[in-house]
Amino acid sequence: MKFIRILFLLPMLALSHGDDMYLIKGGKVFLPDDGFVVKDILVDDGKIIMISDDIGDIDNGEVINAQGKYVTPGLMVFSSLGLIEIGSLPETNDSSSSIYNAGFDPSKAYNPFSQAVRLNRSKGVTSTVNIPGASGYFSGMLTFTKINDGIKQKKQGPLGLLTRYGQSYGDSRAAELMFMEDLFSYVRSSELKSDANEVQFLEGTNNDYKFTARDFSAIQKVLNREIPLVVNVNKATDILNVLKFADSQDIDLVLWEALEAHMVADEIAKAGVAVVLDPLNNIPGSFDSLNATYENVSRLHAAGVKMAFYYAQGAGPHNAYLAVQSAGNSVAMGVDYEEAIKAVTSNPADIFGLIDVGYLEAGYDADLVIWNDDPLELMSLVETVLIDGENQDLSNRNKELTERYTKEKDKPNSYRSRE
Amino acid sequence: MIKKLIVILLALFLFGCSEQSALIFQDEAEGSITKFDNDTHGTYVSTYVPLPGKDTVIRNATVFDGNGNKFLNYDVFFSQGKISEMGRDLPIVGAEEIDGNGLFVTPGIIDIHSHMGVYPAPGVRTSSDGNEATSPNTAEVWAEHSVWSQDPQYKLALAGGITTFHVLPGSANLFGGRGVTLKNVSANTVPDMKFPGAPHSLKMACGENPKRVYSSRGPSTRMGNVAGYRNAWIGAEKYKKSLDRNPSQRDLKNETLVGVLDGKILIQNHCYRADEMATMINIGEEFGYKIAAFHHGVEAYKIADLLADKGVCAALWADWWGFKHEAYDMTIANIAIVDQARNATGCAIVHSDSASGIQRLNQEAAKALAAGREAGFDISEARAMMWITKNPAIAAGISDQTGTLEVGKNADIVIWNRNPFSVYAKAEKVFIDGALAFDKASGLVPHTDFDLGIKEWEVK
Repeated sequence: MKFIRILFLLPMLALSHGDDMYLIKGGKVFLPDDGFVVKDILVDDGKIIMISDDIGDIDNGEVINAQGKYVTPGLMVFSSLGLIEIGSLPETNDSSSSIYNAGFDPSKAYNPFSQAVRLNRSKGVTSTVNIPGASGYFSGMLTFTKINDGIKQKKQGPLGLLTRYGQSYGDSRAAELMFMEDLFSYVRSSELKSDANEVQFLEGTNNDYKFTARDFSAIQKVLNREIPLVVNVNKATDILNVLKFADSQDIDLVLWEALEAHMVADEIAKAGVAVVLDPLNNIPGSFDSLNATYENVSRLHAAGVKMAFYYAQGAGPHNAYLAVQSAGNSVAMGVDYEEAIKAVTSNPADIFGLIDVGYLEAGYDADLVIWNDDPLELMSLVETVLIDGENQDLSNRNKELTERYTKEKDKPNSYRSRE
Repeated sequence: MIKKLIVILLALFLFGCSEQSALIFQDEAEGSITKFDNDTHGTYVSTYVPLPGKDTVIRNATVFDGNGNKFLNYDVFFSQGKISEMGRDLPIVGAEEIDGNGLFVTPGIIDIHSHMGVYPAPGVRTSSDGNEATSPNTAEVWAEHSVWSQDPQYKLALAGGITTFHVLPGSANLFGGRGVTLKNVSANTVPDMKFPGAPHSLKMACGENPKRVYSSRGPSTRMGNVAGYRNAWIGAEKYKKSLDRNPSQRDLKNETLVGVLDGKILIQNHCYRADEMATMINIGEEFGYKIAAFHHGVEAYKIADLLADKGVCAALWADWWGFKHEAYDMTIANIAIVDQARNATGCAIVHSDSASGIQRLNQEAAKALAAGREAGFDISEARAMMWITKNPAIAAGISDQTGTLEVGKNADIVIWNRNPFSVYAKAEKVFIDGALAFDKASGLVPHTDFDLGIKEWEVK
């Protein structure tokens, strides 16, 4: 299924690109076709200017010796970074809405000073695709946001419309599918006006079935194939139904979570549909996922399905960077090493049609990470992070707390520093 | 439908897992843990019988013994369910031979904080049995009376090397009830899984959970929580005295509390904040009991010296944080700082509180180790192995039987295909009491009855 889509940059505030020039010498550079190869990388004006065997020296700017180190594109995570500061405190949570559903775009609430953002940046994350959490029939829109330090961020989107299909506590899943068909037919046939009042799509039903003009407009984007419908669905038979639905509606589709996708891997591959998931999800946590297994990713990989990984285990929203742990585990499950790295860097960009990010290639944004060792290993450390060619501040509250209770431990509390 | 699902997931997160913690009590050095049958009335005792094992020798492996040592080219011989010899080139004949060349051997991994069985999969309301959230003090309930023996999650943990796990009630209450230590074996009754001779624990909880859940009737504040603990202990003291006059009386709640005062039941205390943990230690001193371990303890590093001085373990995550205010001050060096306190006499434990995390405690230990080294501590992998073997055994009161590879201990053993601190490592074989319980190569893995009729997917 090909994506025909026009991506536009969201209110792009005048961003100052790094004027700094960097020459990264001799690192093992992750190239899309060849894996890690020793190369030099030249960065200027926020972009990767050149990747070559030996770029020599530069007059201005900084040379970073990366010999023996690993250089990858920045990690691209799916998360609530910048939207949730403390999970159990609703006043610090901007990831959900009960007013809007399909049209809800939480990225407008992104908080660049979130402590979770600082931690994740220091762990090699350079951008996030937010996970919307509206409480209606649709969860909302996905948007891509760079997580550079500073108050302004580059965004791309909307990238997709997230919804969920499968077990419910009310209607049959058959009825849910009928509803989706009816809703899409309605939106197709309607002349939507931007000043339309709220529409109760099914009279007598609850708020889940209420839509505003903004919501209809988001659905319209799916129907126009500007963005894919992203469906959180687990049960194998449900996945088949969703594939069929997308085909009959002539819309683009991305599968999300997809615990039983391995049972219909060939069908997913044949439809050219990508899957966004956590390889670590192997627990039969519901009757929709009785066949959950570590083998999910290896079977999808063998079938040729394109995948992007997120981390959905403990404290997931705050530790989105642990997508590298998911990726590392996927290798032990049978996914190719290079593919595992792509699943947390370039595959998200491919799946959602992002522009100029996700690859180490001339012309791309200089969003990259230098690691002291194998990026997928648990004990490797991030040494340098560039976002749009700017060397990022890797300080974070976790390290600041550590210092207070190690190096400064012998001082009275009152005399300990903030940094 | 989405709304409802989210609410249920949220509820699970708040009460089911991340909020339950417990304190574990250690202190073998002072001999304060008395072994006793789980129930003073003679019932509910373990009926566990090990699987049939063979005398086996693992040759030429790299061995982490769980006692802080690493041995190269080492042999481990076990017989009759016990470790009988360790060393180089052991002159053993007639035993099953396993070539350990290139492989790593560790003690069976132990999780001191699990809710498998009481929050089983699939996570449906009708088998959500982990927290009797009906009163601030439910010291009378026992987790083992909720455990579902057919939970399909046990075998997933087994594939991650888990041989023993401690099941705790949830954290909605000041006193949540008794926890139980189980062997990771497939059985049809809970006594058939019970770790013989393991003491019960009592789950206590600090902070946000109890005061939120009972805010309408109290406690609604942290000081209300503390008054609740103290009043209950005062009541237990009275009850204990009244036993002199009337030894045959029964009171389930007070029997548990008196078990703690008598040193027979170990306190596992869910507590996040440093100041609250210090308060809980004070309460223990007021009433003459010791806390075995604090669980979750996101701020344990702030009082690492105090924990070491008092001989209290801290069972911690490597990196969970941010889901609640009392879990905000996270450092990934937490475990290492607790471990290294007072010249490395701290008792640090990596716990899971998660049916997912329990499958990879070795990986959680690796992340904690890396952060500790980054913070400037010189910690060996052999030492970090103690965080998931010996130390949880101490906190569960079973370190005389398991948790280290030592002659005479139970042959609870994991063979890994590579260094277990690597993300790529997998358990190849798991032995419990010398019997093979999991074997990746042959596909041996116990299936519960629930697994029947579901298409078989090999556990990898």
